[in-house]
Amino acid sequence: MNAVKDRRYAVCNRLLFIILLALCCLLPVFLPAPAEARVYIDITSPGFRQIPIAIYKLSGAPAGGEISGIIKNDLQFSGVFSYVDRDAYIETPLPVFNPQNWSPLGVEIVVKGSVTVDGDELSATIYLYDVVEGKKLFQKEYRAVRKNLRPLAHTISNDVYKAVTGEDGVFRSRIAFIGEKGGKENIYIADWDGKRLKNTGVGGDLILAPHWSRNGKRLIYSAARGRQWLIFLLDFKEKKERLLVRSEGTNIAGDFLPDGSGFLFSSSKAGTPDIYLFDLRTLKQKRLTRWRGIEVSPSVSHDGKEVAFVSDHGGSPQVYIMNINGSDIRRVTFSGNYNTSPVWSPRGDRIAYSGRIYGKNQIFIVNPDGADPLQLTERGNNEEPSFAPNGRYITFTSDRDGRKGVYIMRADGEAQKRITAKDMRAFGPRWSPEKIF
Amino acid sequence: MLLLVGLTFSCAQREITTPEPGKVIPSEKVKAEQPREEAPNIVGEEEVPKIETTEIEKAPSAIKVSEKEQKDVLKDIHFDFDRYDVKDADKPVLRAIADWMLDNPADRLVIEGNCDERGTSEYNLGLGDRRATSTKDYLITLGVSADRLQTVSYGEEKPLCTESNEACWAKNRRAHFVVLKQEAGK
Repeated sequence: MNAVKDRRYAVCNRLLFIILLALCCLLPVFLPAPAEARVYIDITSPGFRQIPIAIYKLSGAPAGGEISGIIKNDLQFSGVFSYVDRDAYIETPLPVFNPQNWSPLGVEIVVKGSVTVDGDELSATIYLYDVVEGKKLFQKEYRAVRKNLRPLAHTISNDVYKAVTGEDGVFRSRIAFIGEKGGKENIYIADWDGKRLKNTGVGGDLILAPHWSRNGKRLIYSAARGRQWLIFLLDFKEKKERLLVRSEGTNIAGDFLPDGSGFLFSSSKAGTPDIYLFDLRTLKQKRLTRWRGIEVSPSVSHDGKEVAFVSDHGGSPQVYIMNINGSDIRRVTFSGNYNTSPVWSPRGDRIAYSGRIYGKNQIFIVNPDGADPLQLTERGNNEEPSFAPNGRYITFTSDRDGRKGVYIMRADGEAQKRITAKDMRAFGPRWSPEKIF
Repeated sequence: MLLLVGLTFSCAQREITTPEPGKVIPSEKVKAEQPREEAPNIVGEEEVPKIETTEIEKAPSAIKVSEKEQKDVLKDIHFDFDRYDVKDADKPVLRAIADWMLDNPADRLVIEGNCDERGTSEYNLGLGDRRATSTKDYLITLGVSADRLQTVSYGEEKPLCTESNEACWAKNRRAHFVVLKQEAGK
């Protein structure tokens, strides 16, 4: 019965497709919008308001509840959705849908589904409904081994996010940071929500924020080992680190170039800290700045054409931008006398940095031309910002609760929260690309 | 065109379960939708691997100068906030250290540049580097050979004093001296 019905659908759809295709060629002017095209909600428009979403507790305890809890947390943090409490739902949790059950509640998106556990195997079926358009957006099945419950839940969040906004979600991205326990500093990697914390075993007497390659397969970082600041390249496939820079003086790794062919770093090998470009194909180093002061923290723009960095050339540390070949240096920050740690947003339209105000360091964002600086944090010292791959969230270091920890927030400063445990001193977070290893 | 519209409608209609508007559907009366035959998403996951680290040859360990020498001669010198010029008040200290170096020609000196906690970590490493270097440069002008002097910056990472007040910050903005044996050097 179902098979027959399915075939009818298929025939129906294929016929429709052929006719549409023919029409496309013949009458492009009269072609109406395809019936199934979703009008994505424009989350970038100034008038955007959060989309009320209902998320049922997935059947199949306890995994179902755990998975829907993760989805809820992901989508709430995203800032795109506002969660409508379950007490208000009047519809059955079964995969049926009537928009009339939802419009009185103001709910616009509904997530339902079930989870089954078979031995070590998890499988989830998810239904996503759109109240405004009165239709099902998708029905999908997911499978994973039990220990991948969290990645499975984050994958569902990504699909829901994409179906509604048309944009890729970043709920499977990670955050690499430095954690210190018992005097030893190591690179840790956790999910973006701080869960599934892993120590890579890479460390040093001191170690600084690692930088991800855009394909997520490599990290570049500096560590002090035996009174030397060294720069290492870590390849997750080879599972080992390679020593690249061991010049005398202070060597601090900066960003990878977008194509991974090289990276920026700061070194005092020629006397004072200056910015250099390391070419990974030729292993040659090119000096980009020649000022007599301190030049550190190079961050490359998304298109690879410009570099933001810090210099005390003007008497106090400020953020500057130059072209990737070192030409055309211009100053970005003008207010305050201590602005450091610049990072470009992935869209290239904003730069986040740490600026000192009322005696504390706070996270700001500013246009690359210096216009519209906006302060995002207020409590304690907040430093070392790093953008999520979609530019919508920022991770940073804060001491607002005493010991330094890693925090996340939306790029407008909303929803600030700590993601590392209080018993670990944690700092230097860097948000990974969406796909890693 | 009409045919197309009709077709679109009939296709679309079948895809939605359309209950009577305005009514809560009692669950027992609704037949649950059957999952469509679609390949499931298999969620795999690469683990964070354990990384093999590079062995760096052991740096020469600090030799213990007598406590008296460390306290009386190899004294820390201090800097103003966000500055790296050697203060006049500290010049006699560096004079004494230079003399000590000339009296102990087998020894190498490491100058460690440090900062207070108020800055940010990377810029402070740059600042600590400049403090160590300006100290080294001053010792060279006093006749100490450059190849017996090594610098390292620890930025704000190795504070001597951990309270958040000016007295404590002033102690942390320092160049610290550690003596190494000559043969263990290069």
